[in-house]
Amino acid sequence: MDDRRRRFEVLVLPHLDAAYRFARWLSRSPSDADDVVQEAILRAYRGFDALRGADVKAWLLTIVRNCHLTAVKQQQRRGSVPLPEEHDAQDGPAMIATTADPESTSIRRDEERTLDRLMSALPEEHREILVLREIEEMDYREIAAVTNVPIGTVMSRLARARAALKARWLQEAEGEPHAVR
Amino acid sequence: MRCAESLRVQAHFDGELDALRAADIERHCEACAECRELLKDLAQVRTALRQDLTYATTPPALRARIMRALDQESGVQSPRLNAGRLMSWRSRPFWKGAFSGIGGTAIAASIAFFLLAPPLTNPLLDDLVNAHVRSLMPNHLIDVVSTDKHTVKPWFAGHTDVSPVVADFAQQGYRLIGGRADYFDQQRAAVVVYQHGSHVINVFSWAATNASLPKNTTRNGYHLAFWKTGNLAYCAVSDTG
Repeated sequence: MDDRRRRFEVLVLPHLDAAYRFARWLSRSPSDADDVVQEAILRAYRGFDALRGADVKAWLLTIVRNCHLTAVKQQQRRGSVPLPEEHDAQDGPAMIATTADPESTSIRRDEERTLDRLMSALPEEHREILVLREIEEMDYREIAAVTNVPIGTVMSRLARARAALKARWLQEAEGEPHAVR
Repeated sequence: MRCAESLRVQAHFDGELDALRAADIERHCEACAECRELLKDLAQVRTALRQDLTYATTPPALRARIMRALDQESGVQSPRLNAGRLMSWRSRPFWKGAFSGIGGTAIAASIAFFLLAPPLTNPLLDDLVNAHVRSLMPNHLIDVVSTDKHTVKPWFAGHTDVSPVVADFAQQGYRLIGGRADYFDQQRAAVVVYQHGSHVINVFSWAATNASLPKNTTRNGYHLAFWKTGNLAYCAVSDTG
């Protein structure tokens, strides 16, 4: 194993899980996410030498996002436009499979499912900014770098995304608790 | 109608404001009910997302696939085992390497310690796991970066209270990547850091007291293996992926 590969494993691979989570929230299906992550890691490896003390996680997630956008473009060119929303909502629980915590109560799992579903129903730009801020805990500057927009846009988009999730959540709470899919 | 300060309130919530502007916004919130409400909403959404959103980790099969793709990319011939492999911990080549490297006395000593080991609930276990987790945070892993044991070992002389065995198990797939000084059990412990795939293994060593070592165990998902050589106690900590 050469030094370059070793440095890559030490610096970049610790962020593999973050890359995977991000791809899962961007992609329409788990297998799409797998392909996106793999492609992103390879691209990162090829472009590794260009990384100069930058924020590695933001750098990797930027690549993940670009790979996702490329994959979506390719799918559209092939004419297979992915189905929206419901698909994701059903995939949500599958994400738990590898991390299932036997201790978690069924209530907790219900809440996970609900929130996964609410998130899935948000527009992509809302989903991605919420994941970057709340799950990956990135600051505005990093989010701006990953999503390729000015910081001002990050702030307003983040505000809209939070408000949108909160609104859907309230709707859910008031709406038919038994009829939820 | 949104308060004109709402974005700055959000920025304050996200820790983006300096102390001066943060104080400004806090004063504003005292006077503005709408912004106080906003802060409550922001906190609620954050708590919900952090607690109840599925927190996925890379499936082992995907991790393995990626490692193979990387091997191909970097021209490594022999396909590696899945980085998240689930071999039983003690049958791992590393331990064979560790034991053969350190010698028969170590095996005898370890067996003796496994037999004499006291029951669980040992603060030492917590210290070790905490130190391991801390080491995985950015910029905490390695003080001396080197794959050369002749560089790592002398470094410890000036930085820790002990001079541990620094072996090289590259053949077995466990590469030496450096060393670190850590403080626990009231002394400056030496930590030798190895890497296997994307997994980090911290081998702690410290001057053993008369108290016997804990049994090999698993704690918070991290595996701890103990052994003793001479008057040095060792503990290897890692995850299985």
